[in-house]
Amino acid sequence: MNSFTSRLNSLFAFTLSVMAALTFGCFLTTVFNDNLRPVELSVGKVSVKNVPDYSADRDKSDLGFITFDLFTDLSPIFNWNVKQLFLYLTAEYETKDHTLNQVVLWDKIIERGDNTILDLRKANTKYYFWDYGNGLKGNQNVTLTLSWNVIPNAGTLPKVRGFGSHKIVFPEQYTAGRF
Amino acid sequence: MNYIESLLPESIKSIPTHMDFDGQRRAERYFQVIIVLYAIVGFVWGYATQSFSQTLYILFAGVFLSSVLTLVPWKMYRSQPLQWQPARVEQDSATPSPPAVTGNPGSQSKSKKKKIKE
Repeated sequence: MNSFTSRLNSLFAFTLSVMAALTFGCFLTTVFNDNLRPVELSVGKVSVKNVPDYSADRDKSDLGFITFDLFTDLSPIFNWNVKQLFLYLTAEYETKDHTLNQVVLWDKIIERGDNTILDLRKANTKYYFWDYGNGLKGNQNVTLTLSWNVIPNAGTLPKVRGFGSHKIVFPEQYTAGRF
Repeated sequence: MNYIESLLPESIKSIPTHMDFDGQRRAERYFQVIIVLYAIVGFVWGYATQSFSQTLYILFAGVFLSSVLTLVPWKMYRSQPLQWQPARVEQDSATPSPPAVTGNPGSQSKSKKKKIKE
Protein backbone atom coordinates (compact mmCIF):
# COMPACT_ATOMS: atom_id res chain seq x y z
CA MET A 1 0.00 0.00 0.00
CA ASN A 2 3.02 2.30 0.06
CA SER A 3 3.11 2.96 -3.69
CA PHE A 4 0.62 3.67 -6.46
CA THR A 5 1.16 0.29 -8.11
CA SER A 6 0.83 -1.73 -4.92
CA ARG A 7 -2.43 0.07 -4.13
CA LEU A 8 -3.61 -0.58 -7.72
CA ASN A 9 -2.77 -4.25 -7.28
CA SER A 10 -4.65 -4.69 -4.01
CA LEU A 11 -7.65 -2.70 -5.27
CA PHE A 12 -7.84 -4.79 -8.44
CA ALA A 13 -7.49 -8.08 -6.53
CA PHE A 14 -10.15 -7.03 -4.05
CA THR A 15 -12.50 -6.06 -6.92
CA LEU A 16 -12.06 -9.50 -8.48
CA SER A 17 -12.88 -11.21 -5.17
CA VAL A 18 -16.03 -9.10 -4.80
CA MET A 19 -17.07 -9.92 -8.39
CA ALA A 20 -16.64 -13.62 -7.67
CA ALA A 21 -18.80 -13.27 -4.55
CA LEU A 22 -21.48 -11.38 -6.53
CA THR A 23 -21.53 -14.04 -9.23
CA PHE A 24 -21.89 -16.76 -6.61
CA GLY A 25 -24.74 -14.80 -5.03
CA CYS A 26 -26.43 -14.55 -8.43
CA PHE A 27 -26.12 -18.31 -8.76
CA LEU A 28 -27.57 -18.84 -5.26
CA THR A 29 -30.69 -16.78 -6.07
CA THR A 30 -31.58 -19.08 -8.98
CA VAL A 31 -30.29 -22.47 -7.82
CA PHE A 32 -33.70 -23.72 -6.69
CA ASN A 33 -35.65 -22.75 -9.86
CA ASP A 34 -37.19 -25.80 -11.51
CA ASN A 35 -37.36 -24.07 -14.95
CA LEU A 36 -40.47 -26.14 -15.71
CA ARG A 37 -43.17 -24.84 -18.07
CA PRO A 38 -46.26 -26.35 -19.71
CA VAL A 39 -46.01 -27.13 -23.43
CA GLU A 40 -48.93 -27.74 -25.78
CA LEU A 41 -48.00 -30.09 -28.61
CA SER A 42 -50.02 -31.64 -31.39
CA VAL A 43 -49.34 -33.02 -34.84
CA GLY A 44 -51.00 -32.45 -38.17
CA LYS A 45 -50.03 -34.64 -41.07
CA VAL A 46 -48.36 -37.96 -40.17
CA SER A 47 -46.93 -40.34 -42.75
CA VAL A 48 -44.13 -42.87 -43.01
CA LYS A 49 -42.08 -43.97 -46.01
CA ASN A 50 -39.68 -46.86 -46.54
CA VAL A 51 -36.65 -45.49 -48.36
CA PRO A 52 -32.90 -46.24 -48.51
CA ASP A 53 -30.89 -44.38 -45.89
CA TYR A 54 -27.79 -43.39 -47.87
CA SER A 55 -26.31 -41.70 -44.82
CA ALA A 56 -26.17 -45.02 -42.98
CA ASP A 57 -26.24 -48.62 -44.24
CA ARG A 58 -28.17 -47.96 -47.52
CA ASP A 59 -30.79 -50.45 -46.42
CA LYS A 60 -34.39 -49.42 -46.63
CA SER A 61 -35.42 -47.80 -43.36
CA ASP A 62 -38.51 -46.08 -42.06
CA LEU A 63 -38.59 -42.32 -42.50
CA GLY A 64 -41.36 -40.49 -40.70
CA PHE A 65 -42.88 -37.20 -41.81
CA ILE A 66 -44.84 -35.05 -39.41
CA THR A 67 -45.97 -31.47 -39.12
CA PHE A 68 -46.48 -30.18 -35.60
CA ASP A 69 -48.16 -27.38 -33.68
CA LEU A 70 -46.44 -26.05 -30.60
CA PHE A 71 -47.47 -23.44 -28.08
CA THR A 72 -45.52 -22.48 -24.97
CA ASP A 73 -44.65 -19.37 -23.01
CA LEU A 74 -41.11 -19.62 -21.65
CA SER A 75 -40.76 -16.06 -20.31
CA PRO A 76 -40.96 -17.10 -16.60
CA ILE A 77 -37.78 -19.14 -17.06
CA PHE A 78 -35.71 -16.09 -17.88
CA ASN A 79 -34.06 -14.34 -14.94
CA TRP A 80 -30.80 -12.52 -14.31
CA ASN A 81 -28.87 -15.77 -14.42
CA VAL A 82 -30.16 -17.04 -17.79
CA LYS A 83 -28.38 -16.18 -21.00
CA GLN A 84 -30.31 -18.38 -23.41
CA LEU A 85 -32.44 -21.48 -23.76
CA PHE A 86 -31.70 -24.32 -26.12
CA LEU A 87 -35.00 -26.00 -27.03
CA TYR A 88 -35.21 -29.36 -28.71
CA LEU A 89 -38.17 -31.47 -29.77
CA THR A 90 -37.65 -35.20 -29.37
CA ALA A 91 -39.64 -38.24 -30.43
CA GLU A 92 -39.35 -41.26 -28.15
CA TYR A 93 -40.61 -44.72 -29.02
CA GLU A 94 -40.03 -48.40 -28.44
CA THR A 95 -39.10 -50.93 -31.11
CA LYS A 96 -38.53 -54.66 -31.11
CA ASP A 97 -34.76 -54.27 -30.79
CA HIS A 98 -34.54 -51.26 -28.49
CA THR A 99 -36.71 -50.27 -25.58
CA LEU A 100 -35.89 -46.58 -25.97
CA ASN A 101 -35.26 -44.72 -29.23
CA GLN A 102 -34.83 -40.95 -29.19
CA VAL A 103 -34.77 -38.76 -32.28
CA VAL A 104 -34.31 -34.99 -32.23
CA LEU A 105 -36.67 -33.51 -34.81
CA TRP A 106 -36.39 -29.79 -34.27
CA ASP A 107 -34.49 -27.30 -32.15
CA LYS A 108 -34.30 -23.61 -31.47
CA ILE A 109 -32.18 -21.17 -29.49
CA ILE A 110 -33.99 -18.45 -27.56
CA GLU A 111 -31.61 -15.73 -26.42
CA ARG A 112 -32.23 -13.23 -23.69
CA GLY A 113 -34.46 -10.50 -25.13
CA ASP A 114 -35.90 -12.68 -27.90
CA ASN A 115 -39.61 -13.42 -28.13
CA THR A 116 -40.27 -16.05 -25.48
CA ILE A 117 -43.76 -17.06 -26.61
CA LEU A 118 -43.56 -19.85 -29.15
CA ASP A 119 -46.61 -20.43 -31.32
CA LEU A 120 -45.86 -22.73 -34.25
CA ARG A 121 -48.57 -23.97 -36.61
CA LYS A 122 -48.03 -26.79 -39.10
CA ALA A 123 -44.30 -26.53 -38.62
CA ASN A 124 -41.99 -28.91 -40.44
CA THR A 125 -39.27 -30.77 -38.63
CA LYS A 126 -35.72 -29.50 -39.04
CA TYR A 127 -34.10 -32.95 -39.04
CA TYR A 128 -35.03 -36.26 -40.67
CA PHE A 129 -37.07 -38.68 -38.58
CA TRP A 130 -35.07 -41.78 -39.44
CA ASP A 131 -35.56 -45.07 -37.69
CA TYR A 132 -32.81 -47.71 -37.75
CA GLY A 133 -35.11 -50.25 -39.37
CA ASN A 134 -38.85 -50.59 -39.57
CA GLY A 135 -39.92 -49.35 -36.17
CA LEU A 136 -42.13 -46.50 -37.30
CA LYS A 137 -44.71 -48.17 -39.52
CA GLY A 138 -47.82 -48.81 -37.48
CA ASN A 139 -46.15 -47.62 -34.28
CA GLN A 140 -48.99 -46.59 -31.98
CA ASN A 141 -46.92 -44.93 -29.27
CA VAL A 142 -44.40 -42.33 -30.42
CA THR A 143 -44.15 -39.56 -27.81
CA LEU A 144 -43.26 -36.00 -28.77
CA THR A 145 -41.77 -33.86 -26.01
CA LEU A 146 -40.08 -30.50 -25.86
CA SER A 147 -37.02 -30.21 -23.62
CA TRP A 148 -34.58 -27.41 -22.98
CA ASN A 149 -31.15 -26.62 -21.64
CA VAL A 150 -30.92 -23.48 -19.53
CA ILE A 151 -27.61 -21.73 -20.19
CA PRO A 152 -26.75 -19.57 -17.15
CA ASN A 153 -24.26 -16.80 -16.40
CA ALA A 154 -22.93 -18.91 -13.56
CA GLY A 155 -23.90 -22.24 -12.09
CA THR A 156 -25.35 -25.49 -13.25
CA LEU A 157 -26.62 -26.30 -16.75
CA PRO A 158 -30.10 -27.72 -16.11
CA LYS A 159 -31.75 -30.00 -18.64
CA VAL A 160 -35.52 -29.81 -18.29
CA ARG A 161 -38.31 -31.74 -19.97
CA GLY A 162 -41.30 -29.55 -20.69
CA PHE A 163 -44.54 -30.45 -18.94
CA GLY A 164 -46.83 -31.90 -21.60
CA SER A 165 -46.34 -34.28 -24.50
CA HIS A 166 -48.19 -35.65 -27.52
CA LYS A 167 -48.60 -39.19 -28.74
CA ILE A 168 -48.18 -39.83 -32.47
CA VAL A 169 -49.85 -42.79 -34.15
CA PHE A 170 -48.12 -43.77 -37.39
CA PRO A 171 -50.21 -45.30 -40.19
CA GLU A 172 -50.07 -49.00 -40.95
CA GLN A 173 -49.23 -48.34 -44.60
CA TYR A 174 -46.17 -46.78 -46.22
CA THR A 175 -46.82 -43.71 -48.28
CA ALA A 176 -45.76 -44.08 -51.88
CA GLY A 177 -44.61 -41.29 -54.15
CA ARG A 178 -43.10 -38.03 -53.01
CA PHE A 179 -45.10 -37.46 -49.85
CA MET B 1 13.25 5.31 -14.46
CA ASN B 2 15.80 6.77 -12.07
CA TYR B 3 17.48 8.51 -15.00
CA ILE B 4 14.21 10.18 -16.01
CA GLU B 5 13.59 11.25 -12.43
CA SER B 6 16.97 12.96 -12.31
CA LEU B 7 15.99 15.06 -15.35
CA LEU B 8 12.83 16.43 -13.75
CA PRO B 9 12.95 19.99 -12.43
CA GLU B 10 13.08 20.49 -8.69
CA SER B 11 9.55 21.93 -8.58
CA ILE B 12 8.09 18.60 -9.75
CA LYS B 13 10.47 16.42 -7.76
CA SER B 14 9.50 18.21 -4.56
CA ILE B 15 5.80 17.24 -4.90
CA PRO B 16 5.21 14.72 -2.11
CA THR B 17 3.89 11.37 -3.40
CA HIS B 18 4.00 9.21 -0.26
CA MET B 19 1.37 8.15 2.22
CA ASP B 20 2.22 7.81 5.90
CA PHE B 21 1.51 4.50 7.63
CA ASP B 22 -1.84 5.60 8.99
CA GLY B 23 -2.79 6.97 5.55
CA GLN B 24 -2.00 3.61 3.94
CA ARG B 25 -4.18 1.83 6.48
CA ARG B 26 -7.05 4.26 5.86
CA ALA B 27 -6.70 4.10 2.06
CA GLU B 28 -7.04 0.32 2.12
CA ARG B 29 -10.02 0.48 4.49
CA TYR B 30 -11.71 3.17 2.33
CA PHE B 31 -11.58 1.21 -0.93
CA GLN B 32 -12.73 -1.98 0.79
CA VAL B 33 -15.75 -0.22 2.30
CA ILE B 34 -16.63 1.65 -0.90
CA ILE B 35 -16.38 -1.39 -3.17
CA VAL B 36 -18.39 -3.63 -0.81
CA LEU B 37 -21.10 -0.96 -0.43
CA TYR B 38 -21.41 -0.51 -4.20
CA ALA B 39 -21.43 -4.30 -4.62
CA ILE B 40 -24.35 -4.67 -2.18
CA VAL B 41 -26.31 -1.87 -3.85
CA GLY B 42 -25.52 -3.33 -7.27
CA PHE B 43 -26.63 -6.79 -6.19
CA VAL B 44 -29.98 -5.47 -4.94
CA TRP B 45 -30.50 -3.31 -8.03
CA GLY B 46 -29.46 -6.10 -10.38
CA TYR B 47 -31.85 -8.48 -8.67
CA ALA B 48 -34.65 -5.91 -8.88
CA THR B 49 -34.10 -5.33 -12.60
CA GLN B 50 -33.17 -9.01 -13.20
CA SER B 51 -30.02 -7.94 -15.02
CA PHE B 52 -26.60 -9.00 -13.74
CA SER B 53 -24.84 -6.50 -16.02
CA GLN B 54 -26.44 -3.68 -14.00
CA THR B 55 -24.82 -5.18 -10.88
CA LEU B 56 -21.40 -5.11 -12.53
CA TYR B 57 -21.81 -1.54 -13.87
CA ILE B 58 -22.62 -0.31 -10.35
CA LEU B 59 -19.63 -2.24 -8.98
CA PHE B 60 -17.37 -0.64 -11.60
CA ALA B 61 -18.65 2.79 -10.59
CA GLY B 62 -17.54 2.00 -7.04
CA VAL B 63 -14.17 0.77 -8.28
CA PHE B 64 -13.68 4.01 -10.20
CA LEU B 65 -14.64 6.14 -7.21
CA SER B 66 -12.33 4.28 -4.85
CA SER B 67 -9.51 4.44 -7.42
CA VAL B 68 -9.75 8.23 -7.51
CA LEU B 69 -9.98 8.40 -3.72
CA THR B 70 -7.28 5.95 -2.70
CA LEU B 71 -4.83 5.34 -5.56
CA VAL B 72 -3.81 8.99 -5.67
CA PRO B 73 -1.68 9.93 -2.63
CA TRP B 74 -3.90 12.80 -1.52
CA LYS B 75 -2.78 15.16 1.21
CA MET B 76 -5.20 13.66 3.75
CA TYR B 77 -3.13 10.45 3.74
CA ARG B 78 -0.11 12.39 5.05
CA SER B 79 -1.72 13.91 8.11
CA GLN B 80 0.05 11.73 10.70
CA PRO B 81 3.76 11.65 9.88
CA LEU B 82 6.05 9.47 11.94
CA GLN B 83 7.51 11.18 15.02
CA TRP B 84 11.21 10.47 14.76
CA GLN B 85 13.53 10.70 17.71
CA PRO B 86 15.56 13.91 17.63
CA ALA B 87 19.05 13.54 16.27
CA ARG B 88 21.60 12.62 18.92
CA VAL B 89 24.21 15.23 19.57
CA GLU B 90 27.77 13.89 19.24
CA GLN B 91 29.42 14.43 22.63
CA ASP B 92 33.07 14.51 21.67
CA SER B 93 34.16 13.30 18.34
CA ALA B 94 37.85 13.54 19.31
CA THR B 95 37.93 10.38 21.42
CA PRO B 96 38.14 7.26 19.29
CA SER B 97 35.14 5.02 19.50
CA PRO B 98 35.63 1.94 21.69
CA PRO B 99 36.47 -1.28 19.89
CA ALA B 100 33.38 -3.12 18.76
CA VAL B 101 32.41 -5.92 21.09
CA THR B 102 29.80 -7.41 18.85
CA GLY B 103 30.53 -8.55 15.36
CA ASN B 104 28.42 -5.92 13.63
CA PRO B 105 28.99 -2.46 15.01
CA GLY B 106 26.63 -0.76 12.51
CA SER B 107 22.95 -0.64 13.19
CA GLN B 108 23.05 -2.90 16.20
CA SER B 109 25.19 -0.69 18.36
CA LYS B 110 23.25 2.34 17.22
CA SER B 111 19.96 0.89 18.36
CA LYS B 112 21.58 -0.08 21.66
CA LYS B 113 22.64 3.49 22.19
CA LYS B 114 19.14 4.68 21.40
CA LYS B 115 17.69 2.38 24.01
CA ILE B 116 20.11 3.60 26.61
CA LYS B 117 19.12 7.15 25.85
CA GLU B 118 15.49 6.37 26.22
